[in-house]
Amino acid sequence: MTPALDPTPTPLTPPARPDGSSGTRPLGGGAGEGSGEDALLEVRDLRYRYPGAPTDALQGLDLTVAVGEFVAVVGANGSGKSTLARLLGGLERPAGAAKAVACGHDLLADDGRMAARREVGVLFQNPENQLVAECVEDDVAFGLENLAWPPEEMRRRVDEMLARFRLTELRTREPHLLSGGQKQRAALAGVMAVPRRVLVLDEPTAMLDPAGREEVLEAVRGLRADGLAVLLVTQEMDEVVGADRVVALELGAVVYAGDVHGLFSDIALVRRLGLSLPAAGDLALELAARGRPLKPLPLTLDELVATLGGPA
Amino acid sequence: MSASGERGRRRHRAEAGGGPAGVNGHAVPVPGPGMALWCHGLSFSYEEARAPIPALRDVGFELAAGRSLALLGASGSGKSTLLQVIKGLDAPEAGEVGLDGRAPAAPEYAALQREVGLVFQTPELQLFAASAREDVAFGPRRLGRPETEVQAAVDEAMELVGLPPDVFAGRHPYALSGGEQRRLALAGVLAMRPRLLLLDEPFVSLDPATRRELARILARLRAAGVTLVLATHDVDLAWALCDELLVLDGGRVLASGPWEAGEAGQALLVASRLREPFLVELWRRLGRDPARAPRTAAEAAEALR
Repeated sequence: MTPALDPTPTPLTPPARPDGSSGTRPLGGGAGEGSGEDALLEVRDLRYRYPGAPTDALQGLDLTVAVGEFVAVVGANGSGKSTLARLLGGLERPAGAAKAVACGHDLLADDGRMAARREVGVLFQNPENQLVAECVEDDVAFGLENLAWPPEEMRRRVDEMLARFRLTELRTREPHLLSGGQKQRAALAGVMAVPRRVLVLDEPTAMLDPAGREEVLEAVRGLRADGLAVLLVTQEMDEVVGADRVVALELGAVVYAGDVHGLFSDIALVRRLGLSLPAAGDLALELAARGRPLKPLPLTLDELVATLGGPA
Repeated sequence: MSASGERGRRRHRAEAGGGPAGVNGHAVPVPGPGMALWCHGLSFSYEEARAPIPALRDVGFELAAGRSLALLGASGSGKSTLLQVIKGLDAPEAGEVGLDGRAPAAPEYAALQREVGLVFQTPELQLFAASAREDVAFGPRRLGRPETEVQAAVDEAMELVGLPPDVFAGRHPYALSGGEQRRLALAGVLAMRPRLLLLDEPFVSLDPATRRELARILARLRAAGVTLVLATHDVDLAWALCDELLVLDGGRVLASGPWEAGEAGQALLVASRLREPFLVELWRRLGRDPARAPRTAAEAAEALR
């Protein structure tokens, strides 16, 4: 049995700041940025090159993520997904961009990136890189300690995060003794402990068992309800199906941005990008090759069963 | 020293284009035949400051030569530990691992152990040499195999994982893509010509196309008779590749034996925080007998057309 998640999770967005500082001011920055009205993340012509690399990892990438939006990012290994995640989190300095703004902070400026880091949470592919403390609860508290939260508030927040990610029983465990899936949950709890306006998840479920994966996805759905924008980098095509929008990268540029069905209906593009269809779509494709095309293309088990006309 | 590499070895040559196993259209020799495995009463704990944490408790099962086993279980259930104990990297506190019907006390056991290949989780993190060829050659050289045999094994393994040596041998491992690195790391293990191949979450972080390519490579090894133990959370790929199932829960065996998709199988998977394979669930939802569910989308489409 999968334990139910807390039905009334604590809001994960930042509280209004009494000093009215950057965290809660209206987005969009200065004049002449009409397209950024609701955008939490907006980059235009974003470029990045790793030191010593012969080509750009990001080659003029455009992307906008609005308040509360859930955007999936897909692409083959090496297409620039993780690089994009790091740049949006303010962790690297872009080589250049016509515009690069996260939560109202200019990612091209040093202080803007510092400010963006506080509001854009990034969970990396490998939790090992994100676990630093000697026990799980200290790890979850790490970001809050850096922000000098009052101890009582911090304790409460950490308890909530531990419960939310089913880590309470592991709270005193040394992170390096956890399994891969437990580590990823601990890292995720640490990222989410700091109130965020945007969460960038770089393949957060890759190392989780199916139940653990579902818990994380459930938590991500909960984050959306809290008004967070979520950018989910994933290789799991089933996870893409639930997104508001999907963005596909190839060689560091966006080659598709839009409706999930639109992407999966373009089989030639899906193949070119090293992707696949969700399992339901994959079977539909095999059926089409045998003279039984299914329309519209089913992407979930429910849709497939309905289209094939089986019992409900 | 090199006895394990050659003695009585049969070379299996897969036909090019023969079914889904064709790797980049190349006909490549693959190792074989497989090695039988049994585990009796295995227990193992990790030491921690306060108290030892048991990772395996009285784990026992048998796997015949050439069979493929899906090692399933929630995160933390003991899958990685079991693979490391089978490979001999961790000594069990109790119980023993039998290889080809031999107990650890047998004089030939050490040689048999060298024919067990373990592909770690994210094995690309262990790439270290200055070229792909040197990295793949490291394992067989360490086994003391003659250099000509090492080079042949490297060519063979690189070809098998879809990194033809004429293109990739001179490349720096770090200049490869993530998927290529994963396959290169697999080649490093295959170059030792394992007869029992243990894989720890080999599909994690790979893009869908690379995942399929890797699944094809494993299907090919399986067809060549290599015994496979595949620890994975990807129940769909496990269902396509494996004929037996071992479910671990808190370090204990919850179930083992042929993987059947009936009611008991479903209850077992759900109880273990897993889910049924997609095709089994589909068969159930369509009112068909889940015990006869197809293993691949192509098989399913044949039945539904």
